[in-house]
Amino acid sequence: MQVNKPEDFYKNVSKALAQPDLKMIIRRTTDKAEKKRAEAIANFPEFENARMQGQKVKDHTIKYMDHYLAEFEKNALAQGAIVHWASTGEEATKIVLDICRQHKAKKVTRSKSMLGEEIGLTHAFDNSEIERIETDLAEHIIQLAGDPPSHIVWPAMHRSREDVVKLFREFHLDPTYSEEITDLVRSARRDLRTKFLTSDIGISGSNFLLADSGSTCTVTNEGNAELTITPPKVHIVTAGIEKLVPSMAHAVPLLRLLTRSATGAEITQYITFHNGPKRANDADGPEECHIVLVDNGRTKMLADGMEEMLRCIRCGACMNHCVVYKHIGGHAYGSVYPGPMGSVLTPHLDSLEVANKQTHACTLNGRCEEVCPVNIPLPKLIRSLRARSWQKKYEPLTNRFIVQAFAALAKRPRVFQLFCSCGVVFMKLFSRQGWIKYMPLTSGWTRNRDLIEPESKTFMQQYRKMKKAKSDGV
Amino acid sequence: MNNQKSDMSRASIFSAIKNATPTITKDAETIQQEALEILKESEFARPKLSSDDATEALVLRIEAGLVIGTSCEKISALDDLPASVNQFLGKYSLPQELKVQGIDRLQKLNWQGISTDIDIQKDNTVGLCWAEYGIAETGSFVVHSSTEMPILLNFLPLYLIAVIPKSKILHYMDDYALIANEIAKKGETPRNMCLISGVSGTTDIEGVLVQGAHGPEILHIIILEDQ
Ligand code: SF4
Repeated sequence: MQVNKPEDFYKNVSKALAQPDLKMIIRRTTDKAEKKRAEAIANFPEFENARMQGQKVKDHTIKYMDHYLAEFEKNALAQGAIVHWASTGEEATKIVLDICRQHKAKKVTRSKSMLGEEIGLTHAFDNSEIERIETDLAEHIIQLAGDPPSHIVWPAMHRSREDVVKLFREFHLDPTYSEEITDLVRSARRDLRTKFLTSDIGISGSNFLLADSGSTCTVTNEGNAELTITPPKVHIVTAGIEKLVPSMAHAVPLLRLLTRSATGAEITQYITFHNGPKRANDADGPEECHIVLVDNGRTKMLADGMEEMLRCIRCGACMNHCVVYKHIGGHAYGSVYPGPMGSVLTPHLDSLEVANKQTHACTLNGRCEEVCPVNIPLPKLIRSLRARSWQKKYEPLTNRFIVQAFAALAKRPRVFQLFCSCGVVFMKLFSRQGWIKYMPLTSGWTRNRDLIEPESKTFMQQYRKMKKAKSDGV
Repeated sequence: MNNQKSDMSRASIFSAIKNATPTITKDAETIQQEALEILKESEFARPKLSSDDATEALVLRIEAGLVIGTSCEKISALDDLPASVNQFLGKYSLPQELKVQGIDRLQKLNWQGISTDIDIQKDNTVGLCWAEYGIAETGSFVVHSSTEMPILLNFLPLYLIAVIPKSKILHYMDDYALIANEIAKKGETPRNMCLISGVSGTTDIEGVLVQGAHGPEILHIIILEDQ
């Protein structure tokens, strides 16, 4: 698997823009999600109230995080679960692998969890003797393809039906020869059925951690989480500590927001609360339940004044509405978390030094904040990361020089205007029929698309002319 | 060794939180009060139901096609259940075999030639379960794991029938959360509480919705009016 790195952002972007179909493939999913979300919100006039309530639930829990963490631990232990703590992703994967090895597991089934990707669980299994079987259909597809996820809700959205046909024919034991999407889904159902029932350990994430009951919670449309968790003897949950909420009643408003924002559906088909291992006479269920609580940068965000980002419920709406994401797709970000939320999270999971370029790609148009179901001020957070990056001198020298040159010019209006007038003339030299196909210093733009010809006059020239015409008219 | 490491991480997580939020008063009662305050807003932050009657609201939701792959009907008494099931099997030309949850009131019914058992296998076609609750807001039925309720019964068959007693149909998810809280207070929380709202579906290939991804493709809800 060739995985992009966050520090290679510009290179990744060039690669993405050079893929002719990528934009169309991304827009097929994101435009639909955008439309369906808008319909769902229109049918939910109480949305703004729900959003405020959701924000309050998260802010309250973050404010008293240590209280709720202790309560969660106490109640999960009382339910019979075993609770582990991990400061880093590495520690968390080690805990998971150690449990698997203690149980001499040969194969594990896993239901999609972004935290699992974040802590590198997938790679850790691939580098071990234990077989990993992804059970969410999209994760199944990207596992067969050897791809990283490109979206947090639709990780395989960069793969077309034709790709899936090829992959399933190559890897499924009893593949379909039809190219109908229904038949492809059936092929995956057949392939995964036996794997669900013969797995040694089931691994899941948790959308919420309920402090007052010690419950974890899975939210899916496919029902693969329950099929992953129920048959094996052992269930391992990995969850970020920010998933806490005080109680089930507090998870409810967030559930109302989550699916409407993610897919435009009012609710997902399956919401299951898991409370430790099976009871003495239960008909089915795992005999052992481990919960691995992971920090991996979250307390750093708290200390860094980024606590608003800990509200994130991973709905993906910000990327579905992001003009940059829609152009370059998820892989270009070089992180498990792409789009606006990724631009804020990745610098905390990796470091700002390696992931500062993503923050500069943002147009700050504010769409992400408008649609975020828990009111995360993403543009504000992105700007503050930019400022930090500048202070720490992480930008390449050329960028620093350009910004400083701009600052010098902007402070001298006359020189600035002269510069702009010359710029217009210069640009006109390269313009053909309203478009610029090539111009020195703009190859980053013109490599993949044309630049529009500027107006003949600068903004200030036009403004003065308009003002004069107005006053003459009066 | 691992335990030691986990304890160290626990301590460092708690101290990092403390250092990040040093000035916050944290007595349990104040925190609980604040948490309860937030819940008072739920009344204004949830969707209106299409009827004040929870059963009607649930039925209207399903009939409007808002619950994926789901149909519903009402029967007046439990003895009418086998006939309804028979009709369902006939409609989809299904074999006269049913995996039925192992509770007396279902096992003791006269199944009119439909063979019933509880031995759930990989490729069973039809399952029938007795729901603990229904939720009008989301068109859901709720099952709790127990000796008589294998969770897999709700996930392995391609066709699923869920019986919901009318008296157990709640208006909102919040109402269910209150009940879950009561169950917890009695120390009777089951391992799994599943809120199921429609059939197993996926849009992972080119955004096209396909039913029956891993679990049921068709769900039929039968509301039992005399219970
Ligand atoms: S930042 Fe907001 S919109 Fe983006 S994934 Fe998180 S909750 Fe959703």
